[in-house]
Amino acid sequence: MERKRSIKIVVAGEGGQGVQAVAEILAEAAYEDGAQALYIPAFGVEQRGGVSLAFLQISDQPVAAPKFEKGDIVVALSERAVRRTRQYVGPETVFIYDGLAEIKEEELPRTARRILNIPAVAVARAELHPRVFNIVIMGAVIGATRVVPVDQAKKALEKRLGYKFEQDPKLRELNHRALERGVELVDGILKGGGN
Amino acid sequence: MSGAVMAEKRVFMTGNEVVAWAAVAARADVMYGYPITPQNEVMHYWTRLAPKHGKIFLQTEDELSAGFATIGGVLAGKKCFTATAGPGNVLMQEPVSMAEMMRLPVVVVVMQRGGPSTATVIYSQQEVTLTTFGGNGEGFRVVYSTAGLQELYDHTIKAFNTAWRYRFPVFVLADGYQAKMREPLTVYDPVERGIEPVAPEPYVGRPGKPGADRPPGHYRNTYNTEEELYAVVLEQAAEYERVAPEIVEHEESGAEGAAVLVVAHGVVARAAKQAVELLRAEGLKAGYFRPVTLRPLPAEALRTAAGRAGRLLVVESAYGQFARLVRDALYGLTVDVVPLYKPGLGITAEEIASRCRELAASSARTE
Repeated sequence: MERKRSIKIVVAGEGGQGVQAVAEILAEAAYEDGAQALYIPAFGVEQRGGVSLAFLQISDQPVAAPKFEKGDIVVALSERAVRRTRQYVGPETVFIYDGLAEIKEEELPRTARRILNIPAVAVARAELHPRVFNIVIMGAVIGATRVVPVDQAKKALEKRLGYKFEQDPKLRELNHRALERGVELVDGILKGGGN
Repeated sequence: MSGAVMAEKRVFMTGNEVVAWAAVAARADVMYGYPITPQNEVMHYWTRLAPKHGKIFLQTEDELSAGFATIGGVLAGKKCFTATAGPGNVLMQEPVSMAEMMRLPVVVVVMQRGGPSTATVIYSQQEVTLTTFGGNGEGFRVVYSTAGLQELYDHTIKAFNTAWRYRFPVFVLADGYQAKMREPLTVYDPVERGIEPVAPEPYVGRPGKPGADRPPGHYRNTYNTEEELYAVVLEQAAEYERVAPEIVEHEESGAEGAAVLVVAHGVVARAAKQAVELLRAEGLKAGYFRPVTLRPLPAEALRTAAGRAGRLLVVESAYGQFARLVRDALYGLTVDVVPLYKPGLGITAEEIASRCRELAASSARTE
């Protein structure tokens, strides 16, 4: 367990895309994995609509401030989310977005160290179920960072969705598959030198 | 006062949840509350936990009522608390003034949001003046400013004991970040750790005939003459000043010979602490001072630390509310006090560190 880790993650999207769930499950997985983790949602007065942002820090050391200036990983799942997260993208940031999420090329933050186009929506639609799109994204974050082991993420999924999995074990498999596909998508890009 | 109310365990939860658990651990009996973001979930979690532990929740029609109901519960000898934020904290000042006048141990948890008025539901440190000196009195209350969820747990428990031991109203001052963020902490039963909960006792309805079997309970918030009130307030002032040294808490490191001493409280102090560690790793002489109690302020410790430092950088998510308390404590010292004010905005370790580097560079040039 001699891993050195300290990572700052921003996940942003439209309400209903499951952005908070991604951050919360990752935080839970990291906590169960023995790391320090601090997760905080950005929230406003709106009951619905608007960009949903989640801030997550995972570290071996206690986390200092709840928010931060630049993320190591910034995930934006809509065009508005790209604009909203621009301030968190620096020269060290890996920026993850979904090419199908109607994001214009020129909107992408060129300051990022690396920009990864993860076809999570397409993969979820074609191979899985549109609803597990956010779990594909979660897998992609894990793939890009290795911040938590996939097994630990599965346990955290179980903790959150276990009651649903009990009713329909196929859901468990679907979520696990989504997670693994997310990891593979990033691995494929990083190894293949795509994007 | 039965056995352990809570097995010691490591948990990963939000600050609002932490407050509810801590109140159970502190043997609180009743929460009175009115919803306001970002403290709503204190009530939500309390209503989940309360029935399991034979405790009570009452939602009142507003914060005035929540505060006065808390006073009523305390008069009946129950450990009572409420939680609020922002405009709710403004309304809360009237009942808290009464609690101050009558020396009632009410506990109020505040999750600061942006101000003035409705402003944001998110975060700030803009309720410092209100929480320390709000109300039409002298600010005879205790204010703990927590910097994370373990402290929020520890100090919520402590708040009940401080209140019942000293009979001053006690605030736990946190913020929207601490309310909504999740981080690891250990929950425990204070009794198992040797922290004995101070037993409450009723103010009214005690057995025996008043005046014959026992002194009458005469709790006043109204006085007829100036002299009468003057005597009472002076007596309270003397008592507050007497117990203040037992209550004050602070945290500091590296003040001795620090070129820059960063002074911060609450969640901002976490960033300040990390900034100072960063700077020291770079070889810059930076120090850190954090009052845990904003009322009473650890003024002596602060003066000593400031007297040994080159300069002070006061950092807060407000426009000088905390700095006013600091400057008041430093009166007479010549140390330079530099502000870093970000009203209603979070502050990172990086920006505190870069401000310190600028200050160090500028003092190097002038030397």
